[in-house]
Amino acid sequence: MTAVIETESLKKTYGKHEAVRGLNLCVEAGSVCAFLGQNGAGKSSTIKMLLGMIHPTSGTGRVLGHRIDKERESLLIRQNVAFVAEDKRLYDYMTVAQIVRFTKSFFPGWKRDLEQRLLAQFELPLDRKVRQLSKGMRTKLTLLLGFARGCELLILDEPTEGLDPVAIEDVLQIVVSLAAQGTTVFFSSHQIAEVEQVADHVLMIDRGQLVLDAPMDQVKEEYRHIHAVFPEPVEERDLRLPGVEKVQTEGRTVSLTASHNVDSIVAHVRMLRARSVDVLPVSLKEIFLEKVRARG
Amino acid sequence: MRMLLYKAWIETRVRFASGLIAVAIVCIFQIEQHAWLVAMWAREWADPKGYHFSWMPLGIHEYGWYLWHYLYDNYLQQVWALFAILFAFGGLIRERSGGTVLFSLGLPVSRRRWLFSRLAVALLESIALSMFAIVVVVIGSAIIHQTFSLQQMLLHTALMIAAGVFLIAFGNLCYTLFPGNYLSLVLTLVLLGAPYLWLQTYMQHMRYLGRSTWLGYFDFAHAMAGPWQLNWSSAPWLTLLLTWTLTAALLAVTVVHGDRIDY
Repeated sequence: MTAVIETESLKKTYGKHEAVRGLNLCVEAGSVCAFLGQNGAGKSSTIKMLLGMIHPTSGTGRVLGHRIDKERESLLIRQNVAFVAEDKRLYDYMTVAQIVRFTKSFFPGWKRDLEQRLLAQFELPLDRKVRQLSKGMRTKLTLLLGFARGCELLILDEPTEGLDPVAIEDVLQIVVSLAAQGTTVFFSSHQIAEVEQVADHVLMIDRGQLVLDAPMDQVKEEYRHIHAVFPEPVEERDLRLPGVEKVQTEGRTVSLTASHNVDSIVAHVRMLRARSVDVLPVSLKEIFLEKVRARG
Repeated sequence: MRMLLYKAWIETRVRFASGLIAVAIVCIFQIEQHAWLVAMWAREWADPKGYHFSWMPLGIHEYGWYLWHYLYDNYLQQVWALFAILFAFGGLIRERSGGTVLFSLGLPVSRRRWLFSRLAVALLESIALSMFAIVVVVIGSAIIHQTFSLQQMLLHTALMIAAGVFLIAFGNLCYTLFPGNYLSLVLTLVLLGAPYLWLQTYMQHMRYLGRSTWLGYFDFAHAMAGPWQLNWSSAPWLTLLLTWTLTAALLAVTVVHGDRIDY
């Protein structure tokens, strides 16, 4: 598979604050890749670097084969990337029709049929000024302006923020259908349930560093909680095995989080004479919280 | 490009309409005042104890001089300069405060193209404003039965615009450098407007007294006005060359600085 987004040791500092610290990313063509992280983890800074809105302090990156640190190439990137920013404010002095006309003029591959469908689906009034739209309507308009561009890559920063559940479902369906048509989707979100619903790859970032890079199927299949009860308290170091991400002991009860190698870990726990061993699935939300808390 | 110009036009059209009203008021007021001022100067000139400035005979007998003095060397120029600076106000830095900069920068448009499309609209609006002044003067002068050289008027307009591009470039650099939204506008107007107006007033006073000073080299307002009878040989070419060089330098600094900004 070809990579549409690649970064190598990408770094961004603001004064003394390191927002992104040596990030190595790879997003493959045709994937729906979720980019997770807490507020201030470096997600938006990374996306802005990919699109030439901020300049990397060091490191390199390529989007669709074009270098992100060259203004001329950044322009080529933005010709083929539809970006929906976290801040969904638009030119409030334009009407819906004006801003659609304005945006479409920059994209030769503009999908008029999708534009018409979304205008109807989102019930966006063409003659109304953007300033007169509600926050949810503005978000819908921003998404329409991104989706209809007909680009190879769609970068969405918190796409469903401010939307009601019905609209969120609609948006996720559109994302899935665009992905089915071959568009690569790279999106950041705090809504982990949405991520689980549509993403086929997960990247997790914490304090500017990548802490998880795995296909969603692998995450769902391989991440497990292992609960074991022992006759005597056990040492935590006895449970430090390959694949064990986190160990929590409470007297004779041990709780492990494993990212892989589950069978060997269970066998090892049994060998330590555990009275009972339970293997439970782990949700993406739990993985996210554990990754973040482990580093905290 | 057409849509960028369209966007810049929508953003500035209220300012442009305000500019048209301001220019109309200034021109109509000065035309309306002509008869009264000429009568006053004539009385002063005839009175041995009255004021006797060297320009008075010109003011009394030459309507063209009157128009040049009150419009191109004073009030029209000041209003035009103010609105030229206002037309240039805006851009990506301002959009950052408004929250739309990420949408703009997400479009396949270079920062330089954003800058120059906005400056192009500011320049076109400034040209239109000065042309509108000519229309008002032509109509107003016909009403008060005064005649003047339209060619001179066009030449003075051309000179005002040719030198005035410096103001647009300087204002634009200030908007790029200074933080805040309206604070940058106020700072720009103070930084540009205060020395411009003070020097204009001071140097006009010195000229009335027949004195010269080194401050004359910085009298940008006089450079924009030129001599009252403007032709190919009396045009201030050296000043214009210097102005254009400085304008190019200011634009270059704005471009380089703008390319480095993180949004």
